[in-house]
Amino acid sequence: MEEDSYWTNIFKKKEKTDQDIYTVLSKIPIFRSLTNRELRAVERILHRRNYKPNEAVFHENEPGMGMYIIEMGKVYISAGVDNKVLAVLSNGDFFGEMALLLETPRTATAIAHEQTQLLGFFQPDLFSLLQTKPKTGNKILLHLAQMIAERLKHSTIENRHLKNKLTELETKKKPVKVR
Amino acid sequence: MEYTISRFFKFIIALIVIATAGWLLYQLSSIITVVIIAVLLAYILDPLTSSLESRGISRTLSTIVMFLLIGIIILGLFAYFIPLLIDEINQIQRSIESGQSSQYFERLETFIQEKIPLISADDLDIDGRITRALSALTDSFFMVLGSVVSLVTTLVVIPFAVFFLLKDGPVMTKTLIGMVPNRYFEMALNILHKTDLQLGAYLRGQSIDAFIVGVLSINALWLLDVKYYIMIGIFAGLANLIPYVGPLVGGGAAVLVVLMNGGSGMDVMMVVGAFLLIQLIDNVIIQPLVVAKSVDMHPLIVIFAVIVGGQFFGILGMLLAVPVTGIVKVSVSELYKGIRRYNVI
Repeated sequence: MEEDSYWTNIFKKKEKTDQDIYTVLSKIPIFRSLTNRELRAVERILHRRNYKPNEAVFHENEPGMGMYIIEMGKVYISAGVDNKVLAVLSNGDFFGEMALLLETPRTATAIAHEQTQLLGFFQPDLFSLLQTKPKTGNKILLHLAQMIAERLKHSTIENRHLKNKLTELETKKKPVKVR
Repeated sequence: MEYTISRFFKFIIALIVIATAGWLLYQLSSIITVVIIAVLLAYILDPLTSSLESRGISRTLSTIVMFLLIGIIILGLFAYFIPLLIDEINQIQRSIESGQSSQYFERLETFIQEKIPLISADDLDIDGRITRALSALTDSFFMVLGSVVSLVTTLVVIPFAVFFLLKDGPVMTKTLIGMVPNRYFEMALNILHKTDLQLGAYLRGQSIDAFIVGVLSINALWLLDVKYYIMIGIFAGLANLIPYVGPLVGGGAAVLVVLMNGGSGMDVMMVVGAFLLIQLIDNVIIQPLVVAKSVDMHPLIVIFAVIVGGQFFGILGMLLAVPVTGIVKVSVSELYKGIRRYNVI
């Protein structure tokens, strides 16, 4: 009887951690609407990495290859010479997704704040997924495009807003100049 | 002071490691050749497996399906070509044993002496040289495939290795990448990806090119009614892997056979013309289409690599030298570029 509960505990635990990954993954926008089977295929190509407290995930200006999903832990995103902290990310958050499409230098530094477990999803993996499982790959690509379009929309609106503010300020200033 | 001493010890240790690796490489040369052949084949066949996989079949099943298809093709070739090929080899062997080939060589010697009176018969000694070269050729071929690991083992090991490299290749790379420390992880991934892209294109291009040239040569020689056309055709296709020298050697072999069989000057001209035409087709149409230009290797490097390959691994080594040099070149240059970009040095 004891043995039974022992084994069920082990199996339950395993099932639980596996399920956790899938719940984490299914909440990531680019993996949204993937079926369980497709999520399993994605999970198989993800790289699981462990970071010690204060260990860098990547540095600003280094070439980027892809995105990271925080499975467990906390990551500080900072930028600039003074390393100003821009964001603190935790379980289920993701960062660096632009590098999936563009191989440009990283715009910020990511450092693990505590013992952190990350899932890495990189450009070569996305490409091979597009080749071997085009349906899954296309879904991810579409979500990625939607996410970026959304952001573009936001920054366009923000841009317009700022421009308006600028012209407002300029027209306010003008009478002073005339005088 | 301590710094210098620790550097000195590191240097000594590095030297010992390199020397041991070199010694091991040399000792394991026959197995390494088998591994290289398996890796090359797996590389060439990988896109086929992936394209089957994209149709929704699991990777294992796609690998099995592809192996079955290739097995059928090889069996078909066996049924049609191998008897002809064995017949050709037997003919050559018989003509060497019966001394018939000596007659050919004597005829060739007198032909050369007539045309170029400066050369004496002793200098030429074509018969002796070719007999020696032929036995060296078969020796080196079987040294690699035969003596150390027996031929049968090789024929089992290569498909076995190719199968698992194809089936588990992606998992193997992922595991390997997983072992890289966090600091160098993305860099390693980047370098591996870039190398993989370039190498895949290069190796596939080369093998398609060699295949087409081989088929064209076999057809041309068959049309011109040249003896041993299958063997020379296969040889010309493989030799085409070696730039600059390969096509010359392939054509030279055909001309030699024509001369040995008492062909006229016209026959020789026809064969030379056919090979020139094939080279023209190869250089103008096939190569620009299939061979990746990214792996541009200097002619000198290629020639030296071929010589070194021949020195260590015989004829097979000469053929493998070109793709292996390509692999080394791409890996080293990508490694260097990657390290520079990530500011490691």
